Order: sequence, then C-alpha cells, then structure tokens
Amino acid sequence: MEDRLLVTPAPHMKSTKTVQGLMLDVVIALLPAAIAGTILFGFRSLLVILASVASAVASEAIYQKAVKRPVSINDFSAVITGLLLALTLPPDVPVWIPVIGSAFAIVIAKQVFGGLGYNFVNPALAARAFLIAAWPLHMTRDWLNPMTYEALSSATPLVGFNATGQAGLTLTQMLLGQRPGSIGETCILALLLGGLYLIVRDVIDYRIPLGYLGTLALGTWIFGKPGALFQGGALSGVFLGGAFIGAFFMATDYVTSPVTQRGRLYMGIGAGLITLVIRLWGGYPEGVTYAILFMNLVTPLIDNYVIPRYYGSGHDAKARKAAGGETR
Amino acid sequence: MNKNKASLGYDFIKGFIQENPTFSLAVGMCPTLAVTTSLVNGFWMGVAVIFVLTFSNVFVSLLRKVIPDEIRIPVFIILIATPVVIVELVMKAYMPAMYNILGIFVPLIVVNCIIFHRAEAFAYRNPVLNSAMDALGSGMAFTLNLMLIGGIREFLGTGQIAFGSAVFPKVPLFEPAAVMLTPPGGFITLGALMALLNIAVARASKRKKSESQVG
Amino acid sequence: MEVLGIILAGVLINNFVFMQYLGLCPFLGVSKDLNMATGMSGAVIFVITVASTVTAALEQYVLKPLELEYLRTIVYILVIASFVQLVEIFMKKTLPGLYQALGIYLPLITTNCAVLGAAMLNVTKSYGVVLSTLSGFAGAVGWSLAIIIFAGIRERWKLMDIPATLDGFPLALISTGLMSLAFLGFSGLFANLVK
Repeated sequence: MEDRLLVTPAPHMKSTKTVQGLMLDVVIALLPAAIAGTILFGFRSLLVILASVASAVASEAIYQKAVKRPVSINDFSAVITGLLLALTLPPDVPVWIPVIGSAFAIVIAKQVFGGLGYNFVNPALAARAFLIAAWPLHMTRDWLNPMTYEALSSATPLVGFNATGQAGLTLTQMLLGQRPGSIGETCILALLLGGLYLIVRDVIDYRIPLGYLGTLALGTWIFGKPGALFQGGALSGVFLGGAFIGAFFMATDYVTSPVTQRGRLYMGIGAGLITLVIRLWGGYPEGVTYAILFMNLVTPLIDNYVIPRYYGSGHDAKARKAAGGETR
Repeated sequence: MNKNKASLGYDFIKGFIQENPTFSLAVGMCPTLAVTTSLVNGFWMGVAVIFVLTFSNVFVSLLRKVIPDEIRIPVFIILIATPVVIVELVMKAYMPAMYNILGIFVPLIVVNCIIFHRAEAFAYRNPVLNSAMDALGSGMAFTLNLMLIGGIREFLGTGQIAFGSAVFPKVPLFEPAAVMLTPPGGFITLGALMALLNIAVARASKRKKSESQVG
Repeated sequence: MEVLGIILAGVLINNFVFMQYLGLCPFLGVSKDLNMATGMSGAVIFVITVASTVTAALEQYVLKPLELEYLRTIVYILVIASFVQLVEIFMKKTLPGLYQALGIYLPLITTNCAVLGAAMLNVTKSYGVVLSTLSGFAGAVGWSLAIIIFAGIRERWKLMDIPATLDGFPLALISTGLMSLAFLGFSGLFANLVK
C-alpha cells in the first residue's frame, strides 16, 4: 500500500510502480459503479463483470506468453479494461459476449500495438463498438429492469428521450440509476463519486469531463426538444445513456487523449458534439462510444497542432520549434 | 527446351507463393476486401480477374516489341480496359445478380494494381507463353485468396458457407458475428491472416536455418 | 439540403476508405508521414474533383446521347489517365520537392481506384455534373481525412517496437479496422438527407 504514496500527476510515467498506483486508483474509482450495477441489476451483472475481467487478464497473460514478452497483468490495466467493458454492457447479455469482447480489447486493440501506452483507441470502447456490430440484438435488447431483474424487451429511456425530449424519470431515479441501461452507466451518484475521487487524486484532468458534459448539456438544452429550440432537458441529456461513464472514465484515458490542457478541452467538446449529433440525428440511439473513439483517432493530430502556451510560454514554443515541431 | 518448360512451370507456380498478389505483394487490396463478404462472391470476382489478366498479359507480351516505351502506359490501359468491358457485358447478360453484388468493383478491375503490375513487371519483358502462365498463376492465386478470405468472413458472419445450391450447414450454438461482413471485420480479418502467415513463414525459415546448420 | 447530405455522406458516413474500400493502396502506402499524407491528399482532392466533373460531363453529353454507355469504363479510364499525366507534368515543374517525396505514388493516382470509383459511384447515383463534382470532392476530402488521421497515428509508431510479423500491412490493416469501427457510428446519420 505504500506504493500509492508515490503517485504523481504528470502524464508520462516510466516507473511501473506509479503506473500500478494510478491504475489501482482507477479500479477503486470504478468500484462504486460496479457495486451499484450489481445491486440494481442483480447477480447476472456480477457474472458479466467477473467474466469480462477474467477474460481480459487471461488474454493479456496468454498473448504476452505467446510472443515471449514480460507478462504485465500486475499493472491492473487489463483489469480496468475488463471492468470498463463490462460496465458498458447490458446486464442480461450471454456470458460469452464479455469474454469475446475483452479478448478483442486486449489482443486486437492493445497488445498487437505493443501493449499499454501504444494503443491508439480505448480498448474497452473499441471492443464495445465491435460487439455492437457483431451481435446488435444482444447489445441493444438484453436490458433488465432495475431491482426487479425482469427482462425488458423495449428500448432504454434514452431512445424515448431522443425522440420526444421527455425522460419520463424523476431526478432521484436518474441519480440513483433506477432505469434500464448498461450495468455501470445508470447510477450517476456512484460515477460522480468515482470521478471526483480521480480528479482529487489528480489521476484525471477535469477539463475532459467538463468539456464533454458541458457541451452535451448545452447542446441538449438547445436542440433536445423536437420542434422547439432552447427547451431540451439539459440534465436528462447528461444523466441518461453512457455520457457520464464515458466522460469520466473513457475519454480521460491517458494513452488515447491529448497531453495538453487545451487539447483535453477540445477532446471533451468534440466528444460532446459528436455524441449529441449521433443521438439526435444518427442511426444509433447512443453515440458516446463512437464519439470518444473518433476523438481517440484525432488525438495525435490535436497533440500535433495544439502547443502548450500556458506553462513557460516563450521557452516552450521555441524548444518545440527547435525540435522540429509544428508551430501554427 | 527443358529449361523453358521448367521456367513455364515456375512462372505459373510463383504467383501462389513468392509473388502471391495479396500476401506477399499486397496489391489489389480494394477488391480483396470489398467483395469478400462471401466465398462465392470472391470466386466470381477471381474468375473475372483471371480472364482480364490473361487477356492483357497475352496481348501486352505479343505487342511488347511494337509498343514504344514512352506510350506503353496508355496502351496497357487500353489492353486492360478492353477485357474489362467484355467481362462487364458478359456478366450483365448472363449473371445480373452477381454483377449487381460486385457493383462498381467489376469496372474497377481496370485499375486493379495486380493487372497493371503483371503487365509492367512481367508481360512487357517476357514471351507469350510465359506471360500466359504468369497470368494464370497470379490470377488463380488471387482467386484462392479471395475465396479464403470470403469463406472465413461468410462463415463467421452468417454461420454457413453457401456455394450455389451446396450449403455448408450451420453449426449449432454458434451465433454468427455480423461484424465480419462489415468493413471493420474485413480489415481485421485480412490483417490477422497476414500476421498469422508471417508467423508461419518465420517459423518455417527458422526451422530450415537450424536444420541447415545441423547439416 | 441535398448538398449537405452529399457532403456528409462523402466525408463521414460513406467514407471511401472506411466504408467503401476505395483508394486503399495509397492509403496504406503513403500514410507513414504526415507531410506526405497531406501532400498526397491535395493531389487526390484535385484529381478526383476534376475527374468527377469531366466524366459526368462526358456521361451526360456524349455517352448517353450516343448510347455508348457500355464503353464507359474505357472512356473514363483514358480520360483519368491523361488528366493525371498532366497533373504530374505540372507538379514536376512547379513543386519538385513534393514530386520527389511522393515518388512512385503520383503515377499511381491513375490506378488509385478512388478516382475511377468516385466517377462510377456518380453514375450509379445518376448525379448530374454539378452534384457529381460535389460528391467527388466530398469523397476525396473524406479520403484525405482518413489518411491524415492515420498518418498522425502512424507517426507515433516510429517510437514503437513492433514485432516483424506484424510490421507493415498486418498492423496497418488491423488499425484501419479499428478506425472504421469508430466511423460505423456515423452510419445512418441524417438518413433522410443521405442517399
């Protein structure tokens, strides 16, 4: 436990001890949402979470053994990937879905590029997009009603909200997560608790969730009500769907988000805009996955063109120019 | 005489391994991914390419001493576009359903790098028979590649493989992954296949090396 | 509104690389360096846009009235090839640095199937000259977006230790697959506007 005192906030950590500490913080921050999901949707969701984590860790170990690289499952990053993926799945999916999803996340989205630090998309989100394209019916139908654990064949409240601008839920229900949805996305209080913990511990930058949720709330307020402007439900827009878990836990992934403060703000705003557009005018009810994945893709470009001016402005720009960086 | 025969055989065979269009030259990527949503689509695309490739290789080789070097590219283009138009007309008339499935990728055979590559790199410098063998080898290898990729994607994406009326039956308990029929599934399948092939080749050459060292 | 639909379809929804499998050879080949990718993008946008205009005009004013549609493939590819030749000569004279860098890829624009592909797609959608030009331009911008994004990602790989069995095409294809997963999110966008 002493290792945790060594955690430092800078983005590039070389020592495995600090990586482990950071990752452990993320696992701790995800626990409230995982517990809430288990209470809300029952034993099935715990099974999905365990299968997903086990598959992620096993895939990482097997792949690294096969290519004769040091096995790095102790850094908790595979645990996080498995946990994150499970929290974004409908609770009633067959158990093989998280197993295949986590294996895809670890092998195809992460390890083939050389493992942690070299992947260019968030592995859990890439796996989620893969699963939606592979088994769309499971990924959009296997919902459970909260507390009663009854199967529900209709769509989640977000679908109705996108169409009518009406959430049909009270604020308390939304905060506690008493609505059908993915295992870890519904309980806003649990997510907020975990997210604030990460901000206080300086693990994540508040700019990404602020930019993301702010843009989404503003956009939903302006366009969220069909046939009228400036009458949409801003709060429901960020509380329904996966925006909260995405903004705090997915978009903030170090490896796949910009390194500069301004770049992170752009990342949040961009993801918020794309989420809004897909929700209101797209082919899918929810756009969080694709919005963050798209911003992952443009992260190298953002880093290339956004130059840090806030700390040591003159020096920094000159140094970058000397090093051959772009200065536009 | 003997030597020439051996060379004809080699010109045919080399398209499958050393100069495999997909796996070692990596040319013709667009149709390789676009039409491989099923084995039978891959097969018919391959047949079309074999025809065009043989036609163009034979005529390029026949005319190789007449074509001036400076204008060889436009001449190649005409010699390639002519059989493509023939294929288009024949397919449209006799198998309109397949023609619609393959869509713009039938006329796009004209810009398939394989055909241009074989004309420029082989047929323009070699006798007719060798060029024909080269075309048949490359074309058949390309067809096999398309059928392999198409077969994998069709099986994983639909749970069965259909060829005409023969259907390789569904496997019980297997839920097909529709993603295999979409572009992401295609890209990842081909990438993974190439990686596996590289691994197999690396293993084989390693074994050869250690054997020769022992010997 | 049809104009907006065509632009969105070309750039994002029906992206040449990620959704239509067009222009993959240069996409995989010229994406190792951001500057080269940008240069290639400029050339491709120019060539595809003009080629779309010219082929659509030929279709409307020559092939259709003379009922010579069956010769379309030959006519189109000859027009495109000669046009690319002109661009090549022009670039050699005015932008020798870029010409040197793009090396063998410039003549390959002829066999970039995105050029002929864009022209053929315009025919299947029976766009007139103006909409064909727009559609070609949008598709080329989408292709450029794809290659510039990929070049940004690949520049980081220079620092990476990739096993030989994955280096080159295998990893590039798997990455393209992951990128097209992200672009799947745009499918069905503005369904009433997009053909």
